[in-house]
Formats: sequence, C-alpha cells, structure tokens
Amino acid sequence: MRKILMLFLVSFFHCFVAFGQEKDTTFENANAAYNAGQFEKAVMLYKQILESGQHSAELYFNLGNSYYRLNQVGESIFYFEKAKQLQPTDEDINVNSSFAQNMAIDAVEVLPKSQVTQLKDSIIELFSQEGWAYFIVLLAWLLVLFWGLYLWNKIPFIKRTFFVSSLVLALFLIGSLFIAVIKSANTADTTYGILFNEKMEVWAEPNSRAEVLFLLHEGTKVQMLDELQDWQKIRIANGSEGWIKNAKVRSLKGFK
Amino acid sequence: MKNVFVSVLVMMMTTGQAMAQGVSFEAKVSKRSLGLNERLRVDFIMNENGDDFTPPSFSGFKVFSGPNQSISNSWINGKRSFSKTYTYFLTPTRKGALTIAQATIKIDGETYKTSPIKITVTEAVEVPRDPNSPEYLIDDNLHLVAEISNSRPYLNEAITVVYKLYFRNPLRISDGRAVENPQFADFWSHNIDIPRLKVENATYKGEPYSVVVWKKSVLYPQKTGKLTLEPLSLSLVIDLPSNRRDFFGNRILQQSSRTVTAGRRTINVKPLPEKGKPVNFFGAVGQFNFDALINKNSLKASESFEIKLKVTGNGNLKLFNLPELVLPNTLEVFEPEHSENVKTTLSGMQGNIEDNYTVVPRFQGKYPIAPVSFSYFDPKKEKYFTLRSSEQIVDVYGGPVANNSNDNSSAAIAKQLLTNTDESFRFIKLNPNLEPIVKKEFWNTKLFYALLIFPILLLIAFVLLVQHNHRISNDVEGSRLRVANRLSKKYLGEAKKNLKNKTLFYDALERALFNYLKARLKIKADDFSKDKITEILADKKLAEIEIQSFIALLENCEVARYSPATDAKMQQDFDQALSVISNIDKKL
Repeated sequence: MRKILMLFLVSFFHCFVAFGQEKDTTFENANAAYNAGQFEKAVMLYKQILESGQHSAELYFNLGNSYYRLNQVGESIFYFEKAKQLQPTDEDINVNSSFAQNMAIDAVEVLPKSQVTQLKDSIIELFSQEGWAYFIVLLAWLLVLFWGLYLWNKIPFIKRTFFVSSLVLALFLIGSLFIAVIKSANTADTTYGILFNEKMEVWAEPNSRAEVLFLLHEGTKVQMLDELQDWQKIRIANGSEGWIKNAKVRSLKGFK
Repeated sequence: MKNVFVSVLVMMMTTGQAMAQGVSFEAKVSKRSLGLNERLRVDFIMNENGDDFTPPSFSGFKVFSGPNQSISNSWINGKRSFSKTYTYFLTPTRKGALTIAQATIKIDGETYKTSPIKITVTEAVEVPRDPNSPEYLIDDNLHLVAEISNSRPYLNEAITVVYKLYFRNPLRISDGRAVENPQFADFWSHNIDIPRLKVENATYKGEPYSVVVWKKSVLYPQKTGKLTLEPLSLSLVIDLPSNRRDFFGNRILQQSSRTVTAGRRTINVKPLPEKGKPVNFFGAVGQFNFDALINKNSLKASESFEIKLKVTGNGNLKLFNLPELVLPNTLEVFEPEHSENVKTTLSGMQGNIEDNYTVVPRFQGKYPIAPVSFSYFDPKKEKYFTLRSSEQIVDVYGGPVANNSNDNSSAAIAKQLLTNTDESFRFIKLNPNLEPIVKKEFWNTKLFYALLIFPILLLIAFVLLVQHNHRISNDVEGSRLRVANRLSKKYLGEAKKNLKNKTLFYDALERALFNYLKARLKIKADDFSKDKITEILADKKLAEIEIQSFIALLENCEVARYSPATDAKMQQDFDQALSVISNIDKKL
C-alpha cells in the first residue's frame, strides 16, 4: 500500500517536472528559431507558451523582438509594452522598446511631467501591486516584532532604539498602504491600448460632422477614456484627446 | 411642284404661240432657288423692238442694279436676228416662295406679257455663290480648318487642335498673320512651335490642295461639359490672277486682302467615371509607371538618404501632384524637391516627374518606408489603375537610440543621447522565468488583510500579557500574602479552626509543621526528631536563624500545650508559624 502511494506521488511530481521542462524546451526551440532568423516560427512557438497559460516579461520581450524583426510595428510595440508592465525597469526591454517606437510612424512627444508627479510615479512604480502588498505585510510584522522587543527589553538604550525604529516602521507602513491604494485606484481607472489600424483619423466629436483633429498610425499607445456607440475617446501621451471610430485598439490590461 | 410644272407648261405654250407669231417676249432668271444673301439676275428678252416696257414690281426683292438695256442686231446671210434685253439684278428681302410678276411691253401696238416666275428663297448660304467674283474664287479655293483629335475627351485627357490652311490654284498666298489667336479658356494648353511654315500637298474633300499647318496646340480640358474653342482668325494677302494680261501675255495678278476664320468648335468634355475611383486619385490621366526609389538601404545615423517618387509615362504629367510620402516622425524629412522632365508633343505630355525627399535619420533602428500608392485613369481603357511601390526598410545603425522615456528636460535628453551612442538592438532573453498568467492576487484579498491584522492582534495580546506580568512582579507584599494564604490554607487550616481551643490548636500546629516538612522534604513521618530536622534543613542550606526559629516554634508548641496561654499568644504563634513556613518555602 505504502509502496503504491509512493509510486503515485513520484509519478505525480514527475508529471509536474515534465510539464515544466516541456515549456522550457518550447522556449528554447523558439529562441533557436529566432537566432536562425525564422521569426515567424519563433512567434508561433512563443505564442504556444502564452496560450498554455504562462507568461513572463522575458517571453513578452522575445515576442516583441520577433515582431520587430518581422517589421510588424503594432505587435512589436504591444508586446514590449506588456513586458514593461511586468518589469518596468529592465534596460533591455526599454532599449528595444524604443527601437520599436522608432519604427512607428507617430512620434508622440511625451507630455512633460512636473517633478512632483515624476517623484510620485517613481515611488509608485517601485513595486508592482503585489509587491506593495507583500511589502506592507512584511512591514506590519516587523513593526510588531520591534514593538514587542521594545516592550520586552529592560535596557534603556536598546529600548529606545527599538521604539524609534518601530515608529519609523509605522510611518513606512502607513505610507506604503497609502501608495498601494493609490496605485490600485490608478490601474483601475486607466486602460491603455495599442492602436493597430494603419491609419486612423481622430475627430473632435463622436460624429462625422466634426472636424478631424489629427491622424494616428499603427503602434501608437493610447489611453482609452470613454466610449459612445462605435466611437472611443482616447488620449495620447502628449495630452491630445479625440474620438476614433471602429478602431482596432488592443488593450494592455489583462494578460491575453 | 405641281405649280412649277403647270407654269412651265404655260410658258412653253406661250413661247410656242410667240414663235408662231414671230414675236417673243420672255423672262429668264439665273436661278430658281437662291439664298437670302445671294443675287438673282432677271433678263427680259424680246426679239422685236418694242416700247413702253413696264417691269414688274419685284415684290420681295430689292433691285440691286438695273435696268440695263442691251440690244443686239445682226444680219447674217440677209437674215436679221434681233434681241433686246432688260437686265435686273435683284436681292431677295425675305425668305420663302416669291414670284416675279409679269412684265409688259408693246410691240407693234400689241401688248405682250411675260409669264410670272416662282423663286424660292432659302436661308442665307455661307458663301454667296457668285462664281464670277474674286470673293467666290477665294472662298472656293481657300479653307482654314481646325482639326480636333477627339471632340469627346475625358477630363484631363489630351486632345490636339491643328489649324490647317488649305488652298489651291489659282490662289497664291503672299502674306499672312494671325489677327486673333484663340484663347483656350478652361484648357491647359501648350502650343507646339512650328519653326517654318511649310507647304505640303494634301487632299481636302477629295481634291488636291496645298496645305500649310498654321498652328498646333495640345489641350487638356480642365472642366467638364461643353467647352467652346474660340476660332482662329487669319488675315491673308492673296494673289489672284485677273483677266487682264500684261504685255507678254501673262495674267496680271491682283492682290486682295482677306480675313479667314476657322469656325467655332465645341468640345464635349466627359467627366471621369465615379465608378471604381480610388481614394487616392489626384487627377492623373494617361498611362503611367510609378516607382519609389531609395538610394541606400542601410546607413549610419545622421547620414542622409534619398527617396525618389517617380512617375513616368504619357499623360497630364504637369497637372497633378505626386502622392505624399508617409515616414516615421522620428526621421528628419526635408521638403521634397520637385523636378520635371516633360516633353509636350502632339500626342500629349511625355516624360517623368519626380519628388525627391532627403531624409536624415537621427537615431538608429529600422524605419519602414510605407508603400505609396499612385492612381491614374487610363482614358483608352477607360479604367482606373493603382500602382503601389513596394514596402522597404531602411536600416540605420551606429547612432543613438531615440529617447522615449519620460525625461522632460532637454538637458536630460542630450545627456542620454551621449551616453547611449553605442546602444544596439538587444538580443532576446534566454531565461524564460515563466509563471502562470492567472496570478494569485494578494493585494486586497482576505489573506492580505488577515496577515496585516494578525500581527497587530498578536502585539496587543503580547502587550496585555506583559502588562499583566509586570503588575504581578511589582506587587511584592501581595504575593507574599498569597503564598502565606496558600500555605496556611494547606497546612494550618486545622490549626486556624482551633484557635479557640488551646490544646487542639497546638496539637494541630505541631502536626501541621511536621506535615509541611514531610510534604516538602519527602521524609518519613516516624523518625522526626529535632536533631534530624535540623540536620535535614541544614542540608538544604537553610540559614541558621531560620532553622532555629522552626525548631523554636516546634518547642513552643510542646511547651504551650501544658502551660497557660492566652488567645493573643496563640495568634502570635500562628502568625510566626506562617511566616516561618513561608520563609522556608521560599528558600527550598
């Protein structure tokens, strides 16, 4: 009986390992295809991994690279943006993403940010949402530990040290909670997407009597603000807003 | 018709009658049908001299000249022939069927009448046909003709207008100049220079003529609908042979000046068909080839390359714009240089036009040159065609990467440019680091809140516990009391009950002390002696005083049993026992 159970357990684990290995070999095959210049094949293999329900910044990055090699601007920018979502500070991703942006027809000048918002953004972008959650929990435990040590100890110097550090920790905890709440509200409010239409007119109003404000081309990152029937209200990085009709905009939200 | 027939019959009968009598008087007209602007000659002829000639009223005519009288009288072989003629030249004043009424004359006392003649006056004819006049001669032998290649062209389709001057003997043209050159309004026109007028042989309406091509124009209609071509007017000096001859018998030439015009022509311009009209149609009509040429496919950043949009072919090359080139905005593009190499011949404009864009990439990367499409209408096939240039990629290397980060100050950008000079496209990552897409959310979950709240609760519990302990350890007096109470309850309970009864009290007290030791030190009850107790207690490292007080208490119990003792003494002993026990208890 015991033997059978063991066997079962072993085979179960083996299964898991094999599953993981298969992913890895697909990834390696895709890398090999990329290196051999078979970018379509690489794209296909990378997408297989995606479809099996796994992802990573690296996977998105490689997909973006493959599409860049295939000269598909929109797709390339889309996957680099996805990679950036998972790893906003990775240098490789940022460099290649700017290559892809170069390839797009629109060069949208980013609206200058005040130093305050820059600072705020850099703090918020320090961790992902989950990262902030773990950080908060860690801070809470540390705070409790330090406070406990402060209470426990009799020696005045150590007691004072623990008291001050736990006060600092408490401040951090409140700050982090605040930031995490802001971040989750931000992500809930803003949806970004990549435009896939080769050419898109942006109108002042959601009807064709209005005037055309400007033209957008494939690969432009837009923020989706509103919707009315076939029309979508968008904002681009330079702050311009307008309405587009029946546009193919692929949302960056979610991981599909 | 019937009328005419009847009148002819009557006329024949009258002449027959006159012949019979030997006297005739008749009217003759040069023609029976004439244009409003032509002239008619009427002769009244008689073969015997008469008098009292009365001409008819000529209603509907105006007498242009006349009457002219002529008499011929000749004797041939003794036979006399005589004729007297009154001649009138008439011009009709209105159109329609007119009648020249009867004229009368008296010959030998008898009155003769001519028969009336019906004349049909038609619309004015263009050329009054008078073959005797030099005008008629000129008109008949000189023609200025505008030849139009296509009188129903499409908008912007080339047509040609050639003005040709046909003439033939006996005319000679000694000089000519254009009085009025046609203005081709609503056309784009181009005159083809004719360096020297050349006389060539040609046929016009089946007859041999000499021809001079006076003017050639290529026209591109710019409007649809009926457009009128203004006529060309030429003033010519024409040499015309006259009837006179010079001394040597050659005819003397007579010069006459004449203005000829080619008639007004209308051209019906068809609009281009709406069906199948491409979106990016800019009005090119003809047959074209289109290409976009890039002179370099890979270059260093800050070098320049050129993109040439070129249209070659046959059509209205100068009359449309080339399609615009769409380039990534990160490329620096200069205004295109437009150049034309177009020859205009009778078949239209031929050659090529091109727009030359100079582009300077500042950053490295790949730049797609989007395909440009060019549409034109082929009037021969009556169809639209769209040509697309192929998509091309320009690879730029060795320059800085465009800076798309959020740095806003120009100083930061400049700095970045400098540091990033040798940035190249990064290779793919080799470590997959895969994780499930459907990630377990942690933020905002119950677990998160539980983990957040739990340590705080733990802390609170800890604080409470510590405070509790603290209170207990601070309260020394109370704790001693609690110990004493516990001990007294355990061992001195019985003694306490018997505080009133001296014997029982001391008995119980003594027992309690022994019991305490028994329980505490685990010694057998039988071998209790004071020495033994002292020994054991000394073994437990109790102080001498405490042992002494314990022994003293034991002795006291023995003594007190037999001696009178007060309640106060009993109470004192009880308290002492309690304190001794608790003291020893602490030490043990």
